[in-house]
Amino acid sequence: MGGRRVVIVGVASHWGAELARRLERDPTVDYLAGIDSAPPPVELERTDFIEADIRSALLSRLLPGTKAETVVHCGILWYPEPGKPSPLLHDINVIGTLQLLAACERTETLERVIVRGSAAIYGCEGPSPGFFTEEMARRLPLRTRFQRDVSELEGYFDNFSRRHPHLTCCMLRYQPEIGPGLEMPLVRYLSLPLVPVQLGFDPRLQLVHADDATGALEAATRNPVRGPVNVAPSGAISLSHILRLARRPSVPLPHPLFGPTLERLGRRLGAGPLYGDGVRLLRFGRGVDNRRLETEIHYQSRFDAVAAVRDFAARSMGRRVLTSFHPGDVLDMVAGARR
Amino acid sequence: MSAQPRAAEAGPAEGADAPSVAAIADFLRRMRNGIEDGLDPTTAARRATDELPRALRDAVDRISRRLRGEYHEDEWGFDEEFAEAVYPFFEFLYEVWWRVEAEEVRNVPSHGRALLVANHAGALLPFDASMILGAIMKEHPLPRWARFMVLDWAFVLPFVSVFVRRVGGVSANPHNAIRLLEQDELVMAFPEGAKGTGKPFSERYRLQRFGRGGFVEIAVRTGAPIVPVAVVGSEEIYPKLGDATQIARAIGAPFVPITPRFPWLGALGLIPLPSKWRIEFCEPIDLSGYGPDAVGDRRLLFEISEQVRETIQRKLYENLIKRGSAFL
Repeated sequence: MGGRRVVIVGVASHWGAELARRLERDPTVDYLAGIDSAPPPVELERTDFIEADIRSALLSRLLPGTKAETVVHCGILWYPEPGKPSPLLHDINVIGTLQLLAACERTETLERVIVRGSAAIYGCEGPSPGFFTEEMARRLPLRTRFQRDVSELEGYFDNFSRRHPHLTCCMLRYQPEIGPGLEMPLVRYLSLPLVPVQLGFDPRLQLVHADDATGALEAATRNPVRGPVNVAPSGAISLSHILRLARRPSVPLPHPLFGPTLERLGRRLGAGPLYGDGVRLLRFGRGVDNRRLETEIHYQSRFDAVAAVRDFAARSMGRRVLTSFHPGDVLDMVAGARR
Repeated sequence: MSAQPRAAEAGPAEGADAPSVAAIADFLRRMRNGIEDGLDPTTAARRATDELPRALRDAVDRISRRLRGEYHEDEWGFDEEFAEAVYPFFEFLYEVWWRVEAEEVRNVPSHGRALLVANHAGALLPFDASMILGAIMKEHPLPRWARFMVLDWAFVLPFVSVFVRRVGGVSANPHNAIRLLEQDELVMAFPEGAKGTGKPFSERYRLQRFGRGGFVEIAVRTGAPIVPVAVVGSEEIYPKLGDATQIARAIGAPFVPITPRFPWLGALGLIPLPSKWRIEFCEPIDLSGYGPDAVGDRRLLFEISEQVRETIQRKLYENLIKRGSAFL
């Protein structure tokens, strides 16, 4: 098989840049290009940077010129970023994807399209199945803007893949990521010195380790399958367990106060807004089935749900706001136990 | 403090979040054992106290381990240590409050998947799942935890949802049941659902419709045997006389029961009446012979569903006669 020509859309995003870094080391990739409205945050060696806004029709003229064989869309935003406030997210996520698909239609060399989407399409309710499988999308009501955006753009993508049966169209549905250096609201939330939680609720979560998040994306680029694929670690872990492993004291708040408090805290402490389905996620949690990722894309996650959190806790130890004073230590001293 | 053990520590893992409660429960248990051994109360108390420092140290050790997060929760959120910590309360209900008699517990497979199907009652708080679980834990030669399907509404409620999940409850939908059975778990289902718990006291022990027979489909699909279970005694714990429909609609509950003591006595009305219970586990029904094609055969599924329902109904009447008086 000849060399591959890969174009990463949204290369300035963390995951787009990470993917570019990995693909640069891959000898089977002949040509690598990145499209975004701003240059990537890291130094890339052999990636052609093409400056273009994903929402503009310019994409339709630029993309065919790259003679891309694989297009990876990493430009979907979960939460507002500097320069990309929340009113813009719908445009970037939905209209941007539409523009990209229109550009893909004109690219004759194209064989595969991979979109880095979100598991938010399953919704977020108390009595939901413990593990959503891929065909269970949109069974539950979509209550937040982000959930509806994801559903809408998946709808367009489905349509696109049906009209172009010769293309392999793969939608990756990501659970939220975790990693010590990640600048993401959920990670910053977990790093607060006192973590507010919703009184009486303890969501089951699956947080994808940053290594696995990039690894799965790379694996899907190499070996995409048709249709949606969940990206999540095996197993699940409850928020209370996460906070104990990360040694963060929690402050239970009545759930109607949780959202506003977090917004305030976010502005003060730089935790950033928990946009999208964050607040509901931290009340009810969500689990997805990852068997398709393992058996069809053949990606074996390095970390399961608990290991991902343990790794996060161990590696973010050095950057703590509070010293490691913890009720468990006091009890250990009382009990005379050594650890 | 830097070298922390990564894996959960070895050693007996009893009790959990409430170690002091566990220590007191231990103390009382040792006390009772002492008296049963023929000691006078003071000697029994002294002997039980001798054990106390060690029990306390264990308890402190345990709570410290819990606080560090060094415990295991499975992918459903089931926390075995937590379940063991609250077990003494249900043990008390089982032995003293309801004086449960369990029969043929051996019909529950000691390993591998199986679907327990039981009648459902207890308008306010359906305790039947916990008592079936108690029967398996106490009377079975090889005790094992069972998972149970819980009405969806419970998972919207604060505290309740967390408690139910930690002791092994999952929301009642076929996807959960199938996944659990594929993991070779013991799963409890109550096909009557809210229709069973919400029926008036005058209709006690009369089985309601068994849903759409979905439980049979699940059993056929996963090749799990069905073990019908008949529970007698659960209907008398909260005799449901009326229904506060408007409140139910306002809070989204399937029904809000009015019993002789609820809501008149407030929280006191939540204390169940001490009826006498009998639980009978029937012969397992093996469905592995049908193969996956049978899943589409509605008639067959309904037939099996009806067969299970009749078995439970018959056993209910038999055990009602065996029990005699409801409370004494």
